[in-house]
Amino acid sequence: MSAAPAELLGHYRAAFEAMRAGHEASAAQRAAAFDRFATLGFPAARDEGWKYTSLRRLESRRFPVGAGASDVTLPASLAAHRLVIVDGQLRSDLASPGALPAGVRVRSLGQAHADGESLAALLRVTQGGGTERFAALNAALCPDVVLLDIAAHTVAEPLEVLVATSAGEPGMSHPRLVIRAAAGSTSRIIVRHLGDDAERLVNAVVDVEVGPDAAVHLYRMLDSGARTFHIERLEATVAQRGLFVAHDAQLGAGLARLDLHARLAAPQAAAELTGLFLADGTRHLDTHVHVDHLAVATRSLQDYRGIAAGRGRAVFNGKAVVHVGAQQSQARQTSRNLLLTPGAEIDTKPELEIYADDVQCSHGATTGQLDPAALFYLRSRGLTEMEARNALTRAFTGAVVSRMDHAPFAQRVRDALDARLAALLETWS
Amino acid sequence: MLSIRNLHAQIGDRKILKGLDLEIHAGEVHAIMGPNGSGKSTLASVLAGRAGVDVTEGRVEYLGQDLLAMEPEDRARAGVFLAFQYPVEIPGVNNAYLLKAALNAVRKQRGLSELDAFEFLALVRDKMKLMQMDESFLNRGVNEGFSGGEKKRNEILQMAMLEPKLAVLDETDSGLDIDALRVVANGVNSLRGPERSIVLVTHYQRLLDYIEPDFVHVLSGGRILKTGDKSLALELEKRGYDWVQQEARVA
Repeated sequence: MSAAPAELLGHYRAAFEAMRAGHEASAAQRAAAFDRFATLGFPAARDEGWKYTSLRRLESRRFPVGAGASDVTLPASLAAHRLVIVDGQLRSDLASPGALPAGVRVRSLGQAHADGESLAALLRVTQGGGTERFAALNAALCPDVVLLDIAAHTVAEPLEVLVATSAGEPGMSHPRLVIRAAAGSTSRIIVRHLGDDAERLVNAVVDVEVGPDAAVHLYRMLDSGARTFHIERLEATVAQRGLFVAHDAQLGAGLARLDLHARLAAPQAAAELTGLFLADGTRHLDTHVHVDHLAVATRSLQDYRGIAAGRGRAVFNGKAVVHVGAQQSQARQTSRNLLLTPGAEIDTKPELEIYADDVQCSHGATTGQLDPAALFYLRSRGLTEMEARNALTRAFTGAVVSRMDHAPFAQRVRDALDARLAALLETWS
Repeated sequence: MLSIRNLHAQIGDRKILKGLDLEIHAGEVHAIMGPNGSGKSTLASVLAGRAGVDVTEGRVEYLGQDLLAMEPEDRARAGVFLAFQYPVEIPGVNNAYLLKAALNAVRKQRGLSELDAFEFLALVRDKMKLMQMDESFLNRGVNEGFSGGEKKRNEILQMAMLEPKLAVLDETDSGLDIDALRVVANGVNSLRGPERSIVLVTHYQRLLDYIEPDFVHVLSGGRILKTGDKSLALELEKRGYDWVQQEARVA
């Protein structure tokens, strides 16, 4: 770890001091969190999990805290029910006119506290992993916590949570979303991070608790501007026979780091973490996926597809740890990567750590280019090189996109990929 | 239609075609036979424009155009079709998508309008019936998980859809059982016509029982050593290739 230089730390400390007024109730939790951030500091290349991602550019910036008041342009909704968070604050004025889905409740930190919810739980900073420092910074600086509760034994209609930033102005925001799915519930939640071209830091925390026999299907999309630094810690703790499914589309931000972490805490808990990333232009996209198998008969699947082009760079680290006693567990990992142009780079590292003897584990990682034989085959049938490349690139991501079982979300991902690939292909023609 | 003169081609440092001459007119079916390593597949590759085969000398004219100067897709659009010896599996690219994209590319070149979904489906159903292929193949990845015979049928299905002017079939008969061979030959025969030329590259005479060629050429050592009619194929079947090579040495 590297302590941040005093001046840089001073900038965040000033932001933290400014936060204190109006957040007296959570002052103790926030102060502890800020101390944790100050102790850990910004990561250096020698820190675990930061070998390929440098934050030097981010360290050189002094973003003010976003006000959350200015206008935002909202894209069409992907679900009938939508909540909007701007600069970390829930904006009830922007929510969809329809009520929340039946069985889903939303509260702010203040309301939750008044109801007797534990502030320590809502602002908790889990230990370990490369983004603990940023999760701590988020706990110190988040203007609110958006708490979603899914009632026991309900099957909730899909809900979109749009996480946006106020338009035009450079700044930083620390959105924090807590999702708690009670026993036996099923929910589908789209979390879409959006931003414009202003330079900013978005430091998000999404904390998911999947109760016994509950299923949470999370559709995550990061689609913000090329000058956004996006750092996110997305954690799910899964109870007995619970299921956490994440469909991830990491499309952009200039620099993005996602730590997606599933803890299979009780017998027969399962996680399916699949997704794709597209690092074109000068984007740098870093995805760390981690599954802890902590109990018997837990099951996990990781399947990620990555594309890099231009001067884009991507990092994928997939890890599954089968802990002592987690017998009869299954962990499968696949990481497939495609380099579309010679200057692009993808660093991929699948890791398995197994401390139990009766388990089924597999992993594989590939990085390559479009198959020249397939390209020639398509061209020999009359497709231009551009059309052939486009078809093969779409086919590459198709396996992951076709698993996105929420049609409007999948279509949005396809459209975004098509638009970006079309722009890429134009530069080759 | 196609005029090949003094063609020399190599792969890496290996010289494979060493002065090949061949003249093909519209409506003709030519069989090119020869032992393994004689350059048959290299010739097919040169005609389709595969990268990695370097033409060092000679000319190939197709309908008066310099074929070698054309990109593979431009050759396809101009009516050249290669049925691959080893069709490539392309998971995730839908077979119907490829057929439609290929067909519309060729139609555009011919000044025809694109087919709409209904017209396309009607046409492809008709051709699939001819090739005795189940319609479920349309929604599968291109050649993905197809058996050897299914892949070859799929090649001829594409050919039937695209109606090329010059079709080159590279060992389309290899790996086919007798029933599949009949279906494939039937598909090819249905495309015979005064405007279309077909080149059958094959190792065995078997295919020629079903698709009767107008000319049979023996390719050996990178050159056409002998040309005859279909009786030459039967003779080759009986006597092998050695005698042709000896005859050529004497001459």
